[in-house]
Amino acid sequence: MKIAKRATTLLSVGVAALSLGLGSMAAMADGPLRGNVRVLIGSTSTGGDTYQNASIVAERLAEHLGLNIKVDAVGASSAFRTLSRDSRGNTLMIFHDQSYLGHVYGVQGYDDIFEEYRVGPTLAVNPGNAYLVPKNSPYETLDDIIEAVGNGETVRVAIQPGGVSEIGFSALKNAIALEHPGQEDNLVAINTGSQSDKNQQLFDGQADMISGTLQANEQYTRLPEDDQKAMRFVWLTARQSIMEQSPEEGLGQTSREQLLEYVEPNVQVPMGDGENFTFDKEFFFLYNRDMDPAIVEQIDTALAEIYAEGEIQNVQQSLFFIPNFMPSDEAEAHLHDKMTRYQEIIDNLQ
Amino acid sequence: MASGLSDLLSVSIDFETSHLFFPAIIHWLLAGLFALVLVLKVAPFLAAVKRGERTLPIFGESMDVMRFFGTLALIVAYFYLMAVVGDLFPYTGYGFLFVSMGFVLLMSLLYLHVWSRKNLIIVVVNAVVAPSLAWFVLAKLFTITLP
Amino acid sequence: MEFLSLFDLTFFLLAAFGTLVGVIFGAIPGMTATMAVAVCLPLTYALGLHHGLALLLGLYVGGISGGMVPAVLLNIPGTPSSITTTFDGYPMARKGQGEKALRICVIASLVGGLISALVLFLFAPVLANFSIKFSYVEKFLIILLALSVIASLSSSMLIGIFSGVIGIWLSLIGDYSISDGGNGHTRLMFDFMEPYLFEGFSLLPVLIGIFGVATILLEAEKGVKSDLTHERVKVSKSDGAGALAAFKGRFTNLTRSSFIGTFVGMLPGVGGSAASVLAYTQEKNLSRDTSQMGKGAPQGLIASESANNALTGGALIPLLSLGIPGDATTAVLIGAFTLQGIQVGPLFIPENTTTWYVMMTALVFANIVMFFLMFYAIKYIAKVVMVPKHILFPLIVMMCVVGAYAINYGIMFDVWTLLIFGVLGYLIQKIGLEVAPLIIGFILGSQAEVYFVKSLESFGTYTIFFTRSPIAMVLWALIAASVLFSIVIRLKARNKTTTQTP
Repeated sequence: MKIAKRATTLLSVGVAALSLGLGSMAAMADGPLRGNVRVLIGSTSTGGDTYQNASIVAERLAEHLGLNIKVDAVGASSAFRTLSRDSRGNTLMIFHDQSYLGHVYGVQGYDDIFEEYRVGPTLAVNPGNAYLVPKNSPYETLDDIIEAVGNGETVRVAIQPGGVSEIGFSALKNAIALEHPGQEDNLVAINTGSQSDKNQQLFDGQADMISGTLQANEQYTRLPEDDQKAMRFVWLTARQSIMEQSPEEGLGQTSREQLLEYVEPNVQVPMGDGENFTFDKEFFFLYNRDMDPAIVEQIDTALAEIYAEGEIQNVQQSLFFIPNFMPSDEAEAHLHDKMTRYQEIIDNLQ
Repeated sequence: MASGLSDLLSVSIDFETSHLFFPAIIHWLLAGLFALVLVLKVAPFLAAVKRGERTLPIFGESMDVMRFFGTLALIVAYFYLMAVVGDLFPYTGYGFLFVSMGFVLLMSLLYLHVWSRKNLIIVVVNAVVAPSLAWFVLAKLFTITLP
Repeated sequence: MEFLSLFDLTFFLLAAFGTLVGVIFGAIPGMTATMAVAVCLPLTYALGLHHGLALLLGLYVGGISGGMVPAVLLNIPGTPSSITTTFDGYPMARKGQGEKALRICVIASLVGGLISALVLFLFAPVLANFSIKFSYVEKFLIILLALSVIASLSSSMLIGIFSGVIGIWLSLIGDYSISDGGNGHTRLMFDFMEPYLFEGFSLLPVLIGIFGVATILLEAEKGVKSDLTHERVKVSKSDGAGALAAFKGRFTNLTRSSFIGTFVGMLPGVGGSAASVLAYTQEKNLSRDTSQMGKGAPQGLIASESANNALTGGALIPLLSLGIPGDATTAVLIGAFTLQGIQVGPLFIPENTTTWYVMMTALVFANIVMFFLMFYAIKYIAKVVMVPKHILFPLIVMMCVVGAYAINYGIMFDVWTLLIFGVLGYLIQKIGLEVAPLIIGFILGSQAEVYFVKSLESFGTYTIFFTRSPIAMVLWALIAASVLFSIVIRLKARNKTTTQTP
């Protein structure tokens, strides 16, 4: 009897503790979004730019809405799958342009985000998408490369296929096709994986140019020329107007002024419609299609208030991201436009 | 002759089908090895079984049917219910917490040979305390997502 | 010496605390060093860079070391790189030498950790330049060398190789990942499996399923007879002296394995579990007497544990001098820098000398704390085997569930993987296939594919594997030696038995 009593006491203490926990959580949230929220990101890395951006936003959103929000780096395919199963709003996703570029390139596992999901607000831009050559490369500028390929030289570019890393390559190929029709196949893609694999291709002499990032490769560009690892930027795909918003001191020891040299209009990759190709990697929310529109509204409003305070921008800037908040509807239209433009390039090449 | 050899060794991989290149090699390797295993190991073994010198694995062995299949059934129920209950309280870890209590209790009882009062108390207390502790430390302190 | 001012009491307390938490994470089956670093990463925001690094490096060293505990006592690798520790650790534990085995592991870990820290401190930039000489071709050969252990690991060479190839096959299920440069198409599965198996089976759930859950199923089949686990694993008294004696004549093994660990950790993409496997292979090939290896030989523990702790310093080399993580844990660690807006790359060390010294101090300190923490706690840790099975087994399953679910930040299919590979592991052992070669094949299989296919894509000929570089030729010599040794050892063993039996 005694035992049973003791066990009951123990259990009831446990239950009491739990209900206390439940109660306090329920009391804090008063909007349509309730309970614990999980933000899935399309990357499996907790050291990458997606995680950084997601955690900056999640932290402030959690505070603002009085909810528990946890960022989980589950990767694209798992994130999409989990998101499509939960319409309650407890699962949200943050990802970048890869989410529609994967679909544009026909990568297995990527659906049309504008059909299958709901596009939420944009948060920030990483202006760091870059192309680099070895420091002792015969090609001084991107124009040299376009010229050389036009004259029948083979130039090999190490990229990760099917997305952000390939889009600049496709645009370049398209530009060559426009200026030197029939020569574009001399620009060859070397399909590799991570940044380290791409760098290695350059060190091995298996690639003449690599796709990279400002953040990961800036230090390599400051190595002396006789170092096997030394590289040089030839192209940053960001828009000029975006790069101009970056901190004046630039990144590492490369100032904004120097960075602007590698951005359009100093580097030109024509798209054929009189405009230059640019690509900014933008981070945005993705929601389940059937999620309550009130939640969309709630997050839009909350983010508008957070961005109005001005503190989040400082944090983003300090990590070399350009703040770029657009509420859901505006963001959706903007990203859809962007996708259509890139779709044209890829269609041209086929 | 030399060029014949280098032709033989040269290979061109189409990117679109490159995901099948290595698996194909492994399949051939597996098939070859399997044939060898059949001839060198399985055939002699089966012959020994026929002569009555050896017994077949699993079928020819004694087995604690209740505990073995009980374990399997409990694990299946545990994994399944954890997700179901967890879905009722999204991302709180309660699915893990409550279903683990039941699982630990039942599995302990299944394996317990002597159902003495002392043993039962320990089992019950353990089933309540251990999952709670794991849940509190991992889900609350370290904010690890649990089902 | 301005960096000295950074070392306050908090710094050392955080490093020690990190080590303690790391050891606990590593020691719980299913929880790993990577997970420990990942869950504490957000804390570093509040702590600031230097204090944050002290905590994370403590977690890293502690987590890798803690993996030895379940490997020795329960035959479940606590962290993937302690897989080779189970080969000799568990047999020793069954002979009642669990405490001694753990002490040997702790000493080996300390030596491995310190040697790699020293190498890191003195030669990081030089070694980084050496590591970029390894292209896909050489990396494939390193993997092949590590795979060659399969030939000598199993009781029957044919069965061992067959099991290993099954392991490789299992690792290929899923997509040929775009993040490795593949084309992202899935293979070896039916369409309906795609939602679950798109990325294939994850390593950790496979590992703890095949070791943990399978062991429990095998016990359940026998009825979980002996109610006290200690009847299976006897605990006998042992002191430090006994463990130290095991190192007599093992100096070469200890240093060789430490350097192998450091070196493998240094190669981006290869690191992790390959380190201890390779060290184990080389000890098996080069040591004079290997007859006891796999049956409870201290030399196996020394090789495995010194290599997997040497991994810590090794994996930091490419991180700090190329900006590229050397293994899964350092891939998480890189977040500590990026979250604070600090770039890691070839100029990190010259431009952040203070942080560099801080990290080195934390690394060495964490290794020393790990040693004292574990060496004196072993007495109590080893008592785990005294816990009755009806209490222990449900808890192991529960913790394996947590580990499997959490490793990829919350994916339910990883939990089901536990069961699938638990049942598979049970069947494998029943029909006489071998678990260790299979799991080694699984660990190394997907890397073997990427390096092999990419080498051929780049060079278009099989001859490249022989002609690429002098390094490739050295590696071939090692592979040939490894295979040759295992054949010779087998022939010797056969002669011995034939001369004894008549």
